[in-house]
Amino acid sequence: MLSRLAARSAAVVAQQNHGARVCVVAPSRLFHCSGQHGRPIEPLPEEGGKVRMGVFPEEWFQFFYKKTGVTGPYVFGTGLLATLMSKEYIIVNNEFIAGGIFVGFVVYCVRNFGPTVATYADKLRQERVDFIDNKKGRFLTDCENAIETEKKEQWRAEGVDYLFEAKKANVAMQLETAYRERVHEVSNAVKRRLDYQLDVENTQRRMAQEHMADWVVNNVVSSITPQQEKEAIAKCIEDLKRMAKAS
Amino acid sequence: MAARRAAVKAIDWIAFAERVPPNQKAQFTALKARSDAIYSKFLSTPEKPAAINFAFYKSRLANPALVDEFEQKFNAVKIPEPMDTYTAGLDEAQKKAQADVQKFITDSNARIKKYEEQASVYKSLPPTDLMTYDDVFAAFPEMKPDKEKYPIWPHKPIE
Repeated sequence: MLSRLAARSAAVVAQQNHGARVCVVAPSRLFHCSGQHGRPIEPLPEEGGKVRMGVFPEEWFQFFYKKTGVTGPYVFGTGLLATLMSKEYIIVNNEFIAGGIFVGFVVYCVRNFGPTVATYADKLRQERVDFIDNKKGRFLTDCENAIETEKKEQWRAEGVDYLFEAKKANVAMQLETAYRERVHEVSNAVKRRLDYQLDVENTQRRMAQEHMADWVVNNVVSSITPQQEKEAIAKCIEDLKRMAKAS
Repeated sequence: MAARRAAVKAIDWIAFAERVPPNQKAQFTALKARSDAIYSKFLSTPEKPAAINFAFYKSRLANPALVDEFEQKFNAVKIPEPMDTYTAGLDEAQKKAQADVQKFITDSNARIKKYEEQASVYKSLPPTDLMTYDDVFAAFPEMKPDKEKYPIWPHKPIE
């Protein structure tokens, strides 16, 4: 209703400008060429304004209250109705009755089906709002994830020093190993040569011993004469005979 | 001999593994295997060979002078250290890699800034139920109906 709009706009403007601007009727939201056009819109009122007797706005009663007191609006309304009927601005005939029935039907429909329709409309609106909210939330999550990933990748990239440390350590270890192998090689070579010398001497000594033993045995054998051999065999046979007799 | 060269540094393989990107795991595993082989070979080579018992040879050999000569020359021998031809190249490569990393980090920070800017645009939007359709279409251009492709009635410009 225009009157209610006017009252609310005046209140809003007075609140914003602290009364500096004298203005009876001003729209709450000025045109897009003004400095206010970027201002976020205000939330729509969830409920309708306060009314008395179902149709008359509370503001009208407040308007009368200062001038006429509490009963003023009621007296004014009754007087207005009486004047209209007396001067036949409102004519009570068949059409008036039909109009009353029509108004009654409209009120019945609004009372009966209004809440259901309002719920359905709210649901539709909430779906759209949720859709946009989800979109926004997804986008923000994507941004956060991307930032997280970038930071993680930075942290990983800084680990490149580990790689080079490992490679340098490998090189150092291989060098050390090679050096140690060389030391081992020298030592082994010296030891092998000494062992060779030792083996040569041992072998020579062993061969000399064998040779000497052979020489002694050969000399002893060659010094035995046929006469001595015959005597030895005869002695042996005699011994055998004696042994046979004794047994 | 260990003091002769800086002791071989132990590598923190666990911290290293954490930092390896998933797409380079195979290369990392290969490097780890090779390093382990090198390390085990290093460990299995003792620092000093078993000392040669010259006195034993001297008592056994007929010619102790020979052993003395061996001993003198063995003690006098200078074993050349293997040349290190890789560390310099590695240093250079490391410097290059670090420069690359710095560049990547700069780029990445720029990207992060871009993301934050985009996010701040969306964070500064008014509550959704206070947005007009114009606001929504400005914030999410893909939601704007394509009137060129799907015109509504009367399907032609109004004179």
